[in-house]
Amino acid sequence: MRVALAEDGALFREGLLMLLQAAGHEVVGCTAGGDELVELLTTQPADVAILDIRMPPEPDGGLVTAERLRAAHPEMGLLFLSHYAESHYLMRILQIGTEAIGYRLKEKVGSVDVLTDTLTRIESGEIVIEPVLAKRLVERPRGDKKGVIASLSERELDVLRLMAEGRSNNGIAGQLFVTPKAVEKHIANIFAKLGLHTDTAEHHRRVLAVLTYLRSQRDGD
Amino acid sequence: MMLEPAHRAGDAPRTAPEQDTPGSPSSAASLPNAPADPPAAAAPAEAGPPTRLQEPARDARRRKEREQWLRRRRLERQLHDGAALRISALVLQLGLFRHRVPAGEPDLHASIDGLQDELHAVLQELRDVAGKIYPPLLDEAGLGPALREVTERVHSRVRITAPDERFGPAAEGAAYFAVVNCLDILTADAPPVEVTVRRDGAELTVQVAGMDVRHAELMHDQVRLLGGTVEISALPAPSATGGEPGPGTITARIPCE
Repeated sequence: MRVALAEDGALFREGLLMLLQAAGHEVVGCTAGGDELVELLTTQPADVAILDIRMPPEPDGGLVTAERLRAAHPEMGLLFLSHYAESHYLMRILQIGTEAIGYRLKEKVGSVDVLTDTLTRIESGEIVIEPVLAKRLVERPRGDKKGVIASLSERELDVLRLMAEGRSNNGIAGQLFVTPKAVEKHIANIFAKLGLHTDTAEHHRRVLAVLTYLRSQRDGD
Repeated sequence: MMLEPAHRAGDAPRTAPEQDTPGSPSSAASLPNAPADPPAAAAPAEAGPPTRLQEPARDARRRKEREQWLRRRRLERQLHDGAALRISALVLQLGLFRHRVPAGEPDLHASIDGLQDELHAVLQELRDVAGKIYPPLLDEAGLGPALREVTERVHSRVRITAPDERFGPAAEGAAYFAVVNCLDILTADAPPVEVTVRRDGAELTVQVAGMDVRHAELMHDQVRLLGGTVEISALPAPSATGGEPGPGTITARIPCE
């Protein structure tokens, strides 16, 4: 896979470069800031761009850079790496796009397998969210769950949490020890309860389901 | 009821009692019905009209307090740019090392996985510390996003209303911890709380509605050194509680940029 990379921390940038190369990816560009990367990618094609959120142009150059890259190269996947997994940034990232996009903690892509898995899922159009963040968003310590989310059963919430982690139906089935058919039924129920219509593409409905959930929580009721 | 910034038992001796000049934005005098409490430090309230001599002392202390907030923000950035980044880079180097270890060494692979997990735990602890020094999201995105992130981990229902505008690192830091101090003591069965942040001239105003007003001191502790004040307005106490104040509104006003 052709990968481009922007990160202002030299140690981490060099480490990631070496790990990407060890994983067999072609690193077409490696810069310390977003503006340089945008310029570099006007001539160099890449499948996925990896962006640090907190880098030049300050304060959150990764997001600004991603918006420019998504406008110029809609097909290019975007992977955000950050020292923090915060829902504030997740919402901003999902405003940039809900396809071929990912958000992970820097120290959680530290193996060839995980790095390649993350990049491959993004390249194929999936949305990849750091599991601890997805888990935190779906399993809040709040006692009362208001609004549409309150209408979901415990099992449907489990399914939604795994959807928020970007898992496929088969992946969810494996996690919950149920058949993929049972998962499909749960997801259909979730879509119905959240009022997501069948004329929307399946993938989009999955993202919208997760977003509806996140918004319902962030609004405080 | 009004809690003034100067009421602080145990302060270093001062040449003159501190008091806001009439007409200053945080002046207690601008609010009617300010009772003469707390009793522990009643002297400043009874002092005569302030003279110009007191101004430098008050301003100097507020400036020092603002510098403390800037220092906290620098420390958080240092943690992020220094230790945290080094540890993250170390995780990548371990991953590279693991890749080079032959597949026939499962014990070594497991050991490296264990080390990486341990470094993740170290980073989580650093994040926890950084959040207590100066939350990075507050630095980067302001009070609204930072407070909303907090509502995700508290047990009761909290609604945050805040503008996008910024108020400077000191006022934002004090306001953030003032609100978090309140939210942290809420129990799961507490009634919903509404937090409203807004600008009122040269002041940042933070209103916490639906909170037991006896907790006003938690907010006052955070804002007074910046010259901030705290006001409370309680709903009429039901007789069942023995006339003690119940849920009401706590409002902090902090001079800001």
